This record gives sequence, C-alpha cells and structure tokens, in this order.
Amino acid sequence: MAYIYKQIRFKFFELLPLLLLFFISLNGNSIIDLKYFSINVHYILVYYWVLRKPQMLGYGFIFLSGIINDIVFGLPLGVNALSLLIIAAVAAYARVVTVRITLINDWISFIPALLIANFIYFLSLYFSNYSVDYLFLFKNSVVTFIFYPVLWGIFSLILNLTKS
Amino acid sequence: MDTSREDVGIAIRSAFLAKGSKQKFSLFALIVLSIIFLFVETIETKPLNYFRSFIKDVIYRGALVVSTPSKSINNFTDFVKEHVHLYDDYNKLKKENDDLKNKISETDFLELENSQLRKLIEEQISSSSNLMSARVMLDKQSLYLNSFIINIGGNKNIKNGMAVLDGKNFIGRIVDVNFFSSRVLLVSDLNSKIPVITEPSAHHAILNGHGKNEPTLEYLPENHNIQNGDKVYTSGKGGIFSPGIPVGEVKIENNIIKVLLFSDLSQITFININLENLDKGK
Repeated sequence: MAYIYKQIRFKFFELLPLLLLFFISLNGNSIIDLKYFSINVHYILVYYWVLRKPQMLGYGFIFLSGIINDIVFGLPLGVNALSLLIIAAVAAYARVVTVRITLINDWISFIPALLIANFIYFLSLYFSNYSVDYLFLFKNSVVTFIFYPVLWGIFSLILNLTKS
Repeated sequence: MDTSREDVGIAIRSAFLAKGSKQKFSLFALIVLSIIFLFVETIETKPLNYFRSFIKDVIYRGALVVSTPSKSINNFTDFVKEHVHLYDDYNKLKKENDDLKNKISETDFLELENSQLRKLIEEQISSSSNLMSARVMLDKQSLYLNSFIINIGGNKNIKNGMAVLDGKNFIGRIVDVNFFSSRVLLVSDLNSKIPVITEPSAHHAILNGHGKNEPTLEYLPENHNIQNGDKVYTSGKGGIFSPGIPVGEVKIENNIIKVLLFSDLSQITFININLENLDKGK
C-alpha cells in the first residue's frame, strides 16, 4: 500500500509541470498582470524544466501550450509557441554547456533567453500588424527576470519531491 | 580555437537538432512548424478558416472549463469587496439619487424637445430589434490585446466589424468570428481606432485605444474647442458603425484629451451586438 501511495505521489509530481503548463495556457495566466508590473510565468516554467529535467516537459507539449495561449489571448497562431520554443532552445543549449547547476548560473543564462524570446515575440507581432506596448514588454522582461529565483525555489522543491 | 568552435557547434546541434530522452520532436522542427503556422495565419481560405474556427471553439470551451475555479474565486472576492464597501456605496448612491431626482424634470423636457425635433427632420429612429444579445464567455485580457470572447458567432450571423454595445454604450467591435463564438476587440485596445464625433463641439476625431489607460481623441482640428465633459459618439464615418452610439465623455489632462467610457470594461457580462450595416461589415 505504501509503495502504491509512493508511486502515485511520484507520478503526480512528475506530471505537475505539464499540468501547470496547460493550466496556465488554458486559464490565461501565462502572464500574471498585477497593478504595477507583470510576470511571465510561462517563460520561467519552460526555462526551468527544460534546463533541469527536460524529460518532464516535452517540446511538443510546449509548442501545443503556446498555440493554446495564442488562441486564448487572440494572438496570431504561432507567436507564443515560437517564443516559448526559443526559451526552451536557450535552456537546452545552457544545459549542454553547463556542468554545475546553481541558481546564479541559471539566472544569468535566463537573460539571453528572455531577450531573444521577447525580441522574437515583438517581431512576430510587428509583422502581424499588431501594436506593441514596448514599455510594458520591457517592464515585463525585467520583472520576470527578478522574479525567477522565487519560482526557481518552488520548482526545485517539486523537483526534489520527484527524486525522493 | 577550432576545437572551441567545434564544441559550440556540437552544443548547438545537440540542443536544437537532437531529440532528447522522451522527446518526440526536435526543437528545430517545432520552431520551423511555428514559423509555418505564423505564415499560414496570413492565408485566408474557406477550409482553413473553418479549421481555425473549429480549433478555436474547442479551445475556448476547454478554457471555459479550466477557468471555472478562478472565476469562482474572483466572484467570491468581488462579493467580499462589495460588502466591505457597502457603506461608502450607499452614501455615493444616495447622493447620486438626489442629483438624478433634480435632473429628471430637465431630462423630461429635453426628451420632449428631442422627439419633436426628430419628427421635424423625419429621422428614422433605429429599431431595437437590430440588436442581438450575447454573454461574455471568456475574459482573458492579454498585455497586448484587450478583448473577450462571446458565446455567439457565425451561427447567429455575426460578422467582423459589427459594433458591440454594453446596454446602449459602444464598447468595441467584432474582430474574429468562429462557429459558436466571436472575439470582441475593446475600444481600450492598442489596435482599436474608432471614428467618433464630439458633442456639442461637433468635431470629428479618432478614438485611439491605449491598453490599460483611457482611450484618447486624436486627429482633431488644430483650433478645436473641446472641453471637459463633452460627450463622444460614434460618427458613422466609413460606414462601419451606426452614427450616434454613445461612447464616453471628455476629460482633459495635461493637454491630452482622454475619454472616460460610459461603460466599465472590466464589469461586462452581457453585451448587445448591433446587426446594422450587415452587408458593409468587413
């Protein structure tokens, strides 16, 4: 009985990132918009899990969640999918070249990921004739970067639960 | 030097092209697929539009189910807030009621005068049967698109470009029609540009959305005499919307002419769609 309980718990925590990914896409919470700032949780989620345990978050699922997000927010199909895949690509590259995993390493390598992904996001919207609020995009990037360690801590806790 | 370049090449190949463990697709393939999707979005053909509408309808329903818990939490929060502000609201309403009572006689006279003038110029009063009601299904405001989804679409002859009203006030237009749902682009959105006219100054202008901030009036003549409190209506220019739909009133701040909308866009549950100009809707 204890073994079955352990297996269920293990399976649940293993599926948690995936469930979160689709929940925030469908629920439209990929960007938490507070009064003075906004945080892109979607980017942090994808970046962390692709960097730390890519087998828990398939690239196909990331693509699909991006497409769902585009539909929920009414953006041209592919905009979010593309920027999320760029985040995943930078994370995958960082994973290949990094030997030691620390918060500081992760955090610093998150800067190019954010910059490239938001640049691609801006370009896709620009070429689809959508107006973009540059200041909002910039503020969002900065706050997402600052907020990264908080979610890093929470996700590391989940990651430890899948190990134990 | 060569070795270092080779290492970078290997790392990039490994990250982009190789399928990782338990991965069914490589990142490169999916990035290419996303770009293809973006290009396909620009193609307008009937089968593609049907397919898009079907997919969107399915995802909207899924999103509706998933957002039920958060909706319940929001409703509960609103409920608590309403109770907390009960006393303030009571005082505000009492004052408003007194003001309105004072204005009733004035309004009655204006209504009478208005109906007489309408008869004089033989103006056709638009019939309320031109309106179709709908419910807001999903209200997911993104940073870049202030819009929501309503529960009727092609099944009720809704077309792109139709005016959307909250009661009798203009709040936006239809921008995307699916089989059983449509997307309403609100006047506050960055992409929203609505031809309007001010009253009593009678200046034509474009109402420009700014996301979170109030929309502003632009392309006004240089020597305009717009003042605080002037009313803003749709002008009907371009033949997309009917003229004379109330939008809001002018508030001038630091020489910027803002428009305070008559409707609170965050509190909309039911809307009316003006079915007029059906054949003119793009």
